[in-house]
Amino acid sequence: MPGYLFISPAVLLFLVFVALPLLAAFGLSLFHWDLLSTPEFAGLDNFKQLVQDSATIRAVLNTFVFALASVVTHVGIGMLLALGVHRTMTRGTKYFVRTAFFFPFLVSWAAVALLWKYVLDPTFGIAAYYLSSSTNWLASPTWALPTLIVVDWWHTIGYTFIILLAGLQTVPAQLLEAARVDGANAWWRFWSVTLPVMSPTIFFATVITFIGAFQIFDPMVIMTQGGPDGATRSIVQYTYEKGFQAFEVGYAAALSLVLFVVIMIVTGLQFRLSRRWVHQ
Amino acid sequence: MNQPLLSRRRFIQTTGGTALAASLAACGGGNGSGGSGTKELSFVYMGTAEQQATWNKLFAKFTEQHPEIKLKAEGIPLSNWGDFFNKLSTRIAGGQVPDVIQIATEGQRLFASKGLLAPLDDYIKKDQSTIDEYYADMDPNLIEWDKKYASTDGKTYYLPGEFNTMCMWYSKDLFAKAGVPEPTPKWTWDDFRHACEQIKTKTGAFGYAADSAYFGAIMPWLLTNGTSSFSEDWSKPTFDDPKAIEAAEFNRKLVADKLSPPPGGTFDAFTAAAQGKLAMFGGGRWPIISIRNLKATAKMGIVPWPTKVEQGSPVGWNGYPILKASKKKDDAWTFIKFLISKEGSSTFAQLGGTIVPARKSIANSQSFLTDAPKGTEYLYQALSYATPIPSPDKGAAVQKAIEDGWKQVLTGNAQPADALGKAQTALEGLV
Repeated sequence: MPGYLFISPAVLLFLVFVALPLLAAFGLSLFHWDLLSTPEFAGLDNFKQLVQDSATIRAVLNTFVFALASVVTHVGIGMLLALGVHRTMTRGTKYFVRTAFFFPFLVSWAAVALLWKYVLDPTFGIAAYYLSSSTNWLASPTWALPTLIVVDWWHTIGYTFIILLAGLQTVPAQLLEAARVDGANAWWRFWSVTLPVMSPTIFFATVITFIGAFQIFDPMVIMTQGGPDGATRSIVQYTYEKGFQAFEVGYAAALSLVLFVVIMIVTGLQFRLSRRWVHQ
Repeated sequence: MNQPLLSRRRFIQTTGGTALAASLAACGGGNGSGGSGTKELSFVYMGTAEQQATWNKLFAKFTEQHPEIKLKAEGIPLSNWGDFFNKLSTRIAGGQVPDVIQIATEGQRLFASKGLLAPLDDYIKKDQSTIDEYYADMDPNLIEWDKKYASTDGKTYYLPGEFNTMCMWYSKDLFAKAGVPEPTPKWTWDDFRHACEQIKTKTGAFGYAADSAYFGAIMPWLLTNGTSSFSEDWSKPTFDDPKAIEAAEFNRKLVADKLSPPPGGTFDAFTAAAQGKLAMFGGGRWPIISIRNLKATAKMGIVPWPTKVEQGSPVGWNGYPILKASKKKDDAWTFIKFLISKEGSSTFAQLGGTIVPARKSIANSQSFLTDAPKGTEYLYQALSYATPIPSPDKGAAVQKAIEDGWKQVLTGNAQPADALGKAQTALEGLV
């Protein structure tokens, strides 16, 4: 019995803040509800509508593109940055560079998005000035999503970088030393010592980045409002629009469940595949 | 009404949006501060930080007159009615029901049709002479529209309150510098375009800030071209009407010919105009606070919107309904009577609210016209030819569809007929 008492705070928190809302969302998704009148039972209507709604499909695709791009760039470039900082810098510059890379992550998305709106402004933005280009980045259906990916990269890469840097520092010096004595060159040492030791860290960074990217909302809402023509609308943003702008709360609940399932599946897959490359 | 028009407003809108999201995340639990159970009379209105001070002075006046009523007023800083109603609905759904709320045209029918409001008819009967005096001091159009659009079951839920119409604000300095005669109330789209071209050539300033705000930048062009976004009873969207397409094309050309800054940026029209970098922007009464802060009231003028087919302007007005769930209905009525009284109305006008007083006598008085641009009286006169802003129940979603389509045209990403046609399809799914 005392055992249950000890775990009860965690279990209670889980029940109240995870399990119950999840159940409530599932319940809501079976109703048509506009917030103000009584909910009407709708069965699976919302889910049927979801499969046929081209805007949903577009939002899911956008989110996938965004998530894949951010995982590849965050982990790839974050790794390069971490390696560079870890290897070549002196102690003092290391502190400075580490802070500089991490700093944008501390600034709230709202501020970052507004800042970049100014940078990218077609009339007087410095991007237009230095690139001497007349591209209206955020208003072009081709460029809007890639632009947001770059902005996200600027904002969030510091986080991945810090995780990877911490991972690098756990690589035992004696292993590297032994490899060096055995005549392995720098690339070979990286490939067969550093990378395997770091694989759990990289795995963690990948999973976290994926989940974060799937839940992206703020830059879309502030910088492009999901436009132009739905080119940057994410799943979470569409959920918000349906729930709190179109008053289709049931449909929004169904959408949020879809997001939940997508994240579950992708994360599950990652764990499954991780057996092949992550050293435990 | 107070549509997000420009970058400053967009800023408020977006930050407000984030705050909204945050508060939604936080609103799961308590409903402790619901107005109906407490001793205070609770009033919720839309007010940005800039407008808050004005409202507070008005409330102070009310407390002075009615010390027996404790008023708890809460301004929600959003600059977009759609977001405001969403927030309000979420609150009400969560059990927080205020006694009185400010509701603009965009949400009046929605709230009335959901059975959330208490009819005012009995109160009106009781205070008939006060109401008669109020109505006698008002453009009859406002009374009629209020009856027609703000309720669907013949009962009165709202008294028509302050309103906004759309006129064109212009920089007298830039017109003089370019040697272009100042616009007259009867000017046309061609005159407007010509003025933009002249000013661009001679001074390098932009002529007009084309935008995609539903109330402030789309409706005036549609209405002056003899069309609208919806049929008269708001049941059928007409956004792909050839005249609407023509209006969108006209705006696109202003952007393409660089007479207007490219959309999607952070161009602040009020500041640009005060600095002589922009000749014209559309506005109701709300630019007044910024223009006063920029000390540019004397440099600006206001004229009716240029016309192609006929004079036109959207109009949206405030209503202050009492919630059915309120337990302080009598106090609420006292408060509403104060808001529509000569004194309440003129205090508000004087303090530089962002709306035009419903009372003709106040709108034509010094309290409203002092320290305001020449031509401010056109805002009231626009009532004679205005059209209530079409606002079916899903107002926020409707607004987004309309603005998205228009934005596509302005940026040149899509042909006007395609973009508006697509928006039309979306709108048909929303009504």
